[in-house]
Amino acid sequence: MSRRHALNDWYAVADEQSLAQGPRQTRLLDTDIRVGGSFSAPSVTDAHGRALPTQVKFDHLWTTLGDQPRPLFDIPEGDEPGRRLVPCGMVRVKCSPLRAVENFLDIAHFPFVHTDVLGAEPHTEVEPYKVEIREQNDEVWATRVKFFQPLAAKSAEGGITTDYEYRVPAPTTAILYKTCPPKPEAQDVITLFVQPRSETECDVWPWMALYDDDTAFADLIQFQQMIFLQDRSILENQRPVKLPLDPKMEIPTRADLTSVAYRRWLKKRGAFYGALAESL
Amino acid sequence: MSASRPVGLTRDLPAARVMWAQVDGQDMVVWRSTSGVLSAWDNRCPHRGMALSHGFVRGEDLACLYHGWHFGCEGGGCRLIPSHPDLTPPETIRTRAFAVAERGGVIWASLGETAEPAAETAEGFDNHRPLRSFEVHASEAAIEHAAGINPFDAAALCLLYNPIQPDRTLVTVLIDARADKACQKQAARWCEAIRREAEA
Repeated sequence: MSRRHALNDWYAVADEQSLAQGPRQTRLLDTDIRVGGSFSAPSVTDAHGRALPTQVKFDHLWTTLGDQPRPLFDIPEGDEPGRRLVPCGMVRVKCSPLRAVENFLDIAHFPFVHTDVLGAEPHTEVEPYKVEIREQNDEVWATRVKFFQPLAAKSAEGGITTDYEYRVPAPTTAILYKTCPPKPEAQDVITLFVQPRSETECDVWPWMALYDDDTAFADLIQFQQMIFLQDRSILENQRPVKLPLDPKMEIPTRADLTSVAYRRWLKKRGAFYGALAESL
Repeated sequence: MSASRPVGLTRDLPAARVMWAQVDGQDMVVWRSTSGVLSAWDNRCPHRGMALSHGFVRGEDLACLYHGWHFGCEGGGCRLIPSHPDLTPPETIRTRAFAVAERGGVIWASLGETAEPAAETAEGFDNHRPLRSFEVHASEAAIEHAAGINPFDAAALCLLYNPIQPDRTLVTVLIDARADKACQKQAARWCEAIRREAEA
């Protein structure tokens, strides 16, 4: 049963702006839920009107369908003074929630999908980087990732080689740490919170914690949304729609080490919601 | 035996262009290299499953839109992985190729050994030329019915069908080679009328 593992994770289902527009129906793990209230008095109920657990974290409202939810991970950088916290709204994508996360962990597509922004030919090479499963908290980490970017962030001027780190604390969350153009000693944090509506459709809530005091809020959001809409044109055209966990079904290369580790980690945990696990 | 299906017109797929097709439930990418070599492949990049019909042509290769992997028109083998430009891709990385042919100005593809159209269809190619290829959101039977109650007399038309879904059909129309401009225009309007009628 592919839903069992997923039931006990927490999922972002609203930001403050979406709550301000009044209560709304949405879907979580093939279930109808109703989301309303405010950050100070949030309300999430199931189809029978039963109240579901809630918590507000990282500028989003989170809920879970499980009886024994795993604790929600922390993102300590979100509490660091001087950062601007930017919830970027929601983008709906007709794809597996796991494909959405895997795409976020991938840098080799930058020159082709985010052309002249996050990458550009002929700078296509992916240098070796390090991937590990950190045992103490069972998270996937990719470090020492480097990539040449023509326009890495709204605050960047011209091309730079950007340093990246990736962290996967839960099957439907990916966190990216990247070189912060105006503050080279620090890292910008960009995350993807994926709300799985079903195994083949998701609502994606990007959230950023940046050192950027100059760019207008709307421009920061627009930049992130532009990037994600470019990703959507890929995500809605991958087959099979569900993420294959059988290593024979899709051929990785050295640049895909993060994706390979992510798939293995999902398999080991039994996190099969949105995955094609039948052939295992 | 798998039938050969009409998937588009030769003139609609010039050099260095890519299109989507479907044959008996199989998604395909049909594309022409810069030098003119025509290919029909499984519409899926073996790397991460991206539809190759969104890809782009570079010389004699089709490149996937996602990570730019190149596949060569001779055999469909992977020829370049841009994330590792110095690597010679292993022989085992390749797309699945299907039979494809061009006869009578029409592109044909098949899941079988050959894409040659059936002999009785091919007979018509001598005195017909392609008029247009278009999708109708209706079954072949509904289109035949619409054509039956709106006969077209001005010149002989030949309709070829490629069922895509139960209610979605690619129609290729051939017209008598002697038809003049006015007659062709009239036939084009007739195609529109048939489509509306069948979809109603």
